[in-house]
Amino acid sequence: MGIIKKLPVYSEKIPGGGLVLTSLDAIFNYSRACSVWYLLFGTACCAIELMCTGAARYDFDRLGMIFRATPRQADVIIVAGTITKKFAPRLRRLYDQMAEPRYIIAMGGCTVNGGPFYYDCYSVEKGIDHIVPVDVYIPGCPPRPESLLEGCLHLQKKIKTQTISDWQEK
Amino acid sequence: MSGLLTQEFTVNMGPHHPSTHGVCRLILTMDGEKVVKIEPVIGYLHRSMEKICENRTYAQCVPLMDRFEYVTAMSAEYVFVNAVEKLAEIEVPERAEYLRVIMLELNRIASHLIFYGATAMDIGALTPFIYGLRERELIIDLFEMTCGQRLTYNYMKIGGVSHDIPKEFIPKCREAVKIIGEKMSDYEGLLNENPIWLARTKNVGVLPTDLAKAYGVSGPVLRASGVKYDIRKNDPYSIYDRFDFNIPCRHNGDSYDRYLLRLDEIRESLKIIIQALDGLPEGDTLKKVNPFNFKPPAGEMYSRIENSRGEMGVYIISDGTTKPLRVKMRGSSYNHVQVLPKVATGVLIADLVATFATLDVIMPEVDR
Amino acid sequence: MTGDELKEYIVGHLEGKLKPLESGKHDPLFEVQESDLLTVAQVLRDDENLKFDFLSCISGVDTGERFEIVYSLASLANNLRIDLKVVLSREKPEVESVQEIWPAANWYEREIWELYGFDIKNHGNLTRFLLADDWDQGYPMRKDWDAPDFVRFPELER
Repeated sequence: MGIIKKLPVYSEKIPGGGLVLTSLDAIFNYSRACSVWYLLFGTACCAIELMCTGAARYDFDRLGMIFRATPRQADVIIVAGTITKKFAPRLRRLYDQMAEPRYIIAMGGCTVNGGPFYYDCYSVEKGIDHIVPVDVYIPGCPPRPESLLEGCLHLQKKIKTQTISDWQEK
Repeated sequence: MSGLLTQEFTVNMGPHHPSTHGVCRLILTMDGEKVVKIEPVIGYLHRSMEKICENRTYAQCVPLMDRFEYVTAMSAEYVFVNAVEKLAEIEVPERAEYLRVIMLELNRIASHLIFYGATAMDIGALTPFIYGLRERELIIDLFEMTCGQRLTYNYMKIGGVSHDIPKEFIPKCREAVKIIGEKMSDYEGLLNENPIWLARTKNVGVLPTDLAKAYGVSGPVLRASGVKYDIRKNDPYSIYDRFDFNIPCRHNGDSYDRYLLRLDEIRESLKIIIQALDGLPEGDTLKKVNPFNFKPPAGEMYSRIENSRGEMGVYIISDGTTKPLRVKMRGSSYNHVQVLPKVATGVLIADLVATFATLDVIMPEVDR
Repeated sequence: MTGDELKEYIVGHLEGKLKPLESGKHDPLFEVQESDLLTVAQVLRDDENLKFDFLSCISGVDTGERFEIVYSLASLANNLRIDLKVVLSREKPEVESVQEIWPAANWYEREIWELYGFDIKNHGNLTRFLLADDWDQGYPMRKDWDAPDFVRFPELER
């Protein structure tokens, strides 16, 4: 991957170097956005809606998204369900095991800010964005499959605005 | 194989695993491929629902009961609403009772279809998952037509149901029942005589009858072990004593029997729905109580119903104020995970996965 | 047998040890002393006309003034249902384990120990169960429990 690392540096010096990087960006982004593989992760009620979205009527496969069982082969974790304080370190560990570029979709009210378990609850993490960095939030309890599909389209749009030189310094 | 030095090692079938039906952690001590000791660790979905219910009015507790068991949310709401109505001695209108029975049985079929799909997926067959969820969409359409939600309905209210059915419901329901009845032969044809399925599930995870009774196992798991006990017949609630249906019962207690029994139960539920649709009376659907100022008299009771997984119960203590003093929720999966180490020790790890799948466990019932 | 016949039969067979309570609305509810719990449980399980071999649920209760434990029992063969209540003292709540009689009680008692703080004698496995591994904030289901990040539902103006 040495050429990829050095390409932004070289193309700065070439007149019109931005165009080389832009075409490469377009190819990378298009391939990444159209084949985002998600991790089979579901804790609570939103997991059933995730399963339904992957089934016959609202198909995930038409967006190029298929499930993988291990985080090493996944691009995105769709965190579906309540995350408790006991489970939070495991979620962080799963996120750390993913290879970059990696994304998180927070599905459902519980992952946004605790949802129906905000008041009077001693064991729920009120929102996951202080555990892992979140890219797309999908509200709902549980969100309809159409909402989840729109969230995934937002993620695809976000991926298409990235550039490969973003992942250099991480 | 004697003379070979072996050592036991620990494998963590961790909280995030495709086959553990939620977030259950199993610490396995293994001798090669055989499981020597299982220790279930739970609590990864403990959302303290019982503490939340102590600070809500009775009407505000109903949507929370939805999340207690979201695959059969109608049953979860019903068991709470039934307890409160018995404590306050509220008479529910006839039409509401018939609608409740129709919704409960539709929910039972939807839950068994998810069982069918998820169990097959755990054992390795991916097609039944798509088939099961495709038919479940027909039932979910009916729910959405009535109350607007697909999964967590908030449909049962204290004193009746929240919405009356629209006029398209009855013809669509009959059509859904007809389609599901025809597709049952597809489901059975895929798996029942399949040699791989038989090798994976026959004589695997046998649960003897006295062990089942001692550990408080209920529902299809108990009936597959030879005990013909169903709360709808032995201790009837709502208007189940007016309908004519059988209780299937099998005697081997292995995973294959548990799978077959649930398919039999789908057929019985289809019969009940047709009888309820034929006998649906006219009338109003809700005997209104003031949701903000509803104070049942002081008392306590344990209300239980036959859920698709087993016996689901709620123990309510009321002290005469608008909020309950104690709501204890009892889910059948709690006992099933407790009996797992007794049933699946000394087997190969693939058999452990098959046993756990057919016990049909759902983790929010265990952790609450 | 009906509810009243059941009450008379049970009170007759266990003279002095059980006291029927009025607050049980649907099924008979009896109060038992903590010292008599095991003998009563043995009789209830083994008597031919009762055969309460199915333990549905054990609930811990904190009424604000006292602690209670409620055992919900059922009989599969005879289609009967009763509840048993044991009242515990506020300073030192402890009770004998009933898992010799109903093995299903194991996890229920572990949960009560963890969330309420009742001491269960002869249990054998009272370890961390539902709460996080590093939980050190007391017994959350008690009515007087509080914590810094515990937000109460606001009372609505009506």
